[in-house]
Amino acid sequence: MKDIKEIASRVLEELKKAGADAAQCTVAHGKAKELNIDGGEISLMRTVLDNSISMKAIKDGKKGSASINQFDEASIAAAARECIEAADAAVVDDAVCIAELTQNAEFDVGAKEDDMDLFFDRITEFLDTVKTDYPKIMLEQVFSEYAETDTAVMNTNGVYHRLREAGYTLSTMFSAHEGEKATSFNGYEAQFGDLSRPLIGIGMQRTLFELSQKELDAQPLDGKFTGKILVAPTCLGEMVDAALDKFAGATELINGTAAWKDKLGQKVADEKLTVSIIPLDERISGGERITDDGYVSENFDMIRNGVLTDFGLSEYAARKTGNKRAPSTSSCMAIAPGDKTLDEIVKGIDKGLLVCRFSGGEPAVNGDFSGVAKNSFLIENGEIKHAVTETMISGNLEKMLNDIVAISKETVEDGASVLPYVLFDRITVS
Amino acid sequence: MLNDYISDLIPGGAEHTELRAQQTETVKVVLIGGNLVANQSGKAGGVCARVYKNGSWGFASCADYDEDSVKDVLNEARGNASFLDAKLNKGKPALPQTKPYFTAPPAPSPVLPRRLYVDFATELDAYIEKTYPRLSGRKVIVTSEKFEKLICASNGTKAHTVAPRVYVYVFLSADTKDGETLELFDVLNGGNGYFPDYFTDPMQYAERIDKLYHKLVDKTEGVFPKAGSADVILSSSMAGMLAHEAVGHTVEADLVLGGSVAGHMLGKQVAAPMVNMVDFAHTAFGKPCPLPVFVDDEGTECEDEILIKDGVLVGYMNNLESARHFGMTPRGNARAFAWGDEPLIRMRNTAVLPGRDKLEDMIASIDDGYYLISSGNGQADTTGEFMFGVTMGYEIKNGRLGRALRDFTISGVAFEMLKTVTMLSDEPGWDSSGYCGKKQPMPVCLGGPAVKCRVTVGGQ
Repeated sequence: MKDIKEIASRVLEELKKAGADAAQCTVAHGKAKELNIDGGEISLMRTVLDNSISMKAIKDGKKGSASINQFDEASIAAAARECIEAADAAVVDDAVCIAELTQNAEFDVGAKEDDMDLFFDRITEFLDTVKTDYPKIMLEQVFSEYAETDTAVMNTNGVYHRLREAGYTLSTMFSAHEGEKATSFNGYEAQFGDLSRPLIGIGMQRTLFELSQKELDAQPLDGKFTGKILVAPTCLGEMVDAALDKFAGATELINGTAAWKDKLGQKVADEKLTVSIIPLDERISGGERITDDGYVSENFDMIRNGVLTDFGLSEYAARKTGNKRAPSTSSCMAIAPGDKTLDEIVKGIDKGLLVCRFSGGEPAVNGDFSGVAKNSFLIENGEIKHAVTETMISGNLEKMLNDIVAISKETVEDGASVLPYVLFDRITVS
Repeated sequence: MLNDYISDLIPGGAEHTELRAQQTETVKVVLIGGNLVANQSGKAGGVCARVYKNGSWGFASCADYDEDSVKDVLNEARGNASFLDAKLNKGKPALPQTKPYFTAPPAPSPVLPRRLYVDFATELDAYIEKTYPRLSGRKVIVTSEKFEKLICASNGTKAHTVAPRVYVYVFLSADTKDGETLELFDVLNGGNGYFPDYFTDPMQYAERIDKLYHKLVDKTEGVFPKAGSADVILSSSMAGMLAHEAVGHTVEADLVLGGSVAGHMLGKQVAAPMVNMVDFAHTAFGKPCPLPVFVDDEGTECEDEILIKDGVLVGYMNNLESARHFGMTPRGNARAFAWGDEPLIRMRNTAVLPGRDKLEDMIASIDDGYYLISSGNGQADTTGEFMFGVTMGYEIKNGRLGRALRDFTISGVAFEMLKTVTMLSDEPGWDSSGYCGKKQPMPVCLGGPAVKCRVTVGGQ
């Protein structure tokens, strides 16, 4: 196989030959090994060798895009022609662009490993530990993957970045069982750089197994209340991400329907809340180094002390809406810790709900949400009590971000995020 | 079309082996507020092999597709199976042999210019902008996919299939009198086929968009439902969601083996006697299904799987391995999404069967409840607990439709809720525009009649 830098050059040549005024491409070659567990048993070992080329071209102020996973010359030439056909069919748009040349960079992220025996042993150790320490847990489906990828980004402005990265993921789906009693399933996903430590200790995995076993004694919630919910790191990122997407995301900003479209630099949340995107943080495993637009990634704050400081936009969305491009297109999120321990926060709750998973409908554009609080526990008189069944929570994400009572000192790292527990008020629990 | 580099290399015999070459082609055009934000095509393909050895599976795939790469993936898959077999030594017997399935080579696919998709979307968008100035936002999304597969398995199957599908989605937004933005979407049309099979003139859909707009206006004047248990009529698309999310996932045999509630319920009454549910392969109610599947990726010919008969749970959806475990017949539910994916147990066209009631009589039978028309998404639990996001619905007061409803969520426990079913309409409907997520995405189709039942409503 040719080096991917040569392939990237070839792609740009073909796009120019087909009529592009400006062009950009990302070329990648990857290899992955994966182990699958079904019903608690290792079931399958998988190898994937993949290529990818994504290309975009601008012609007469119009943009087209195409992607393929073949590296042969005929496929590249055909895809380039298709990309230009797409541009010809498009409408003129002043916001279309390719990355400016600022700095070219090369990165090596994560250690390359190819020791399937050690990988197998770590997975077996994980399964054995679950059986020993959490005998009521059934691992419904688990997969763990080692992947290494070599990526080149190149454009006609002279941009050339190279990224070689390697790392692991672990994804678990599990529930607790006792006779015919069974809990709701729960899931967890974590990323990690190497096999130097047992997988059971990554992120919140142990905590979630313990909580699942306790969930076997779940009871229905008695009545309905409007009050506090303590959101665990396992679903906090998803909820905050949904809020940012609805109120400040590219789609809603371009559509003119984003609630925070005029609020850059203004307070949008409680001042205790700081939300950062941290692909370069050492607690993140294999975080983004090159943005989707072709720039070198940087960490940045989206909300600082409750004030909206960045929309997190791609270059196209930024130009379209008259804002600035975000320093990163990563989703690796950190929420700054607070000044109370988790224990102190729980002790201060008269009645509330610890929410570990949220199974809900897509929040509305205005932030209204409702859904089932899964794997969740009643908090009463400062103590975490029993798990609850069929309990729904509803509220509005915008109001919720302004109703933060406390943020825990403790944070949980899963290799893709660094998140605390956050206590919100005025949520309907029924 | 895919060349055949695989059929000469597939071994026969007891050690189950599959080889699959696949090419997936996509086109996506997205207009947001009149801006063409996506105008892209994709082609991804390659070859994969999966080998079963004494209870362990080895799988390998490669983006290159020629004779050498086929031999390489076959060797790598055998190596992976042998690696696990040596470590695990499960000693399980061979998988059941199904009868081979053959197809004739498919007809060549049409080559369609990109302008066809972009022009349709921009004309439709311009019509919406001009006709409905009160809207605060709009999105038009055109998607086209084509899955071409060449499947060979050690049971002798040699099948070459092409499955195209195309959809147009329209999202409209409008503000309430308090300035809150609400959204509603509809899938205008689409299904199994190519773009011109469904979409030629955007004005064909003017009436459909008008209905969508007026529902959105109703919604901006709508109310939240009361939280708690309520009598509801689920529309056919919501009933389909029920069939897929609440029941279907719990009876996928891999999830049964993982501890799903259905493991204890085979042969038991799980629903009212009027409830029947089937995962159709390719034909239902005398017509082709919107997502016809004729052969699965293990090389098994697809047949209907009856899941609930007269309210009794009678079947699971299986692959070869789970069918052997449960002593059931595999009926072609092992499906893989991308060229580099292994087959998993997936649904196809999963539906509650219709009854004899008329929708208007069903609505008239409720004094205080809700008619739930469309859903944004749904999730299920292996306990049978389910959740659907409701994006459009109306109150029912004294047998008549009342005010529209704002976005909310309903939930329930499938095998308890199905026992509350008291009426089923006589008109089945299908929704094939969505994907199911289970390690891999997968196009699925769901359907059913309108269903009268009782669910938990999450209001405010």
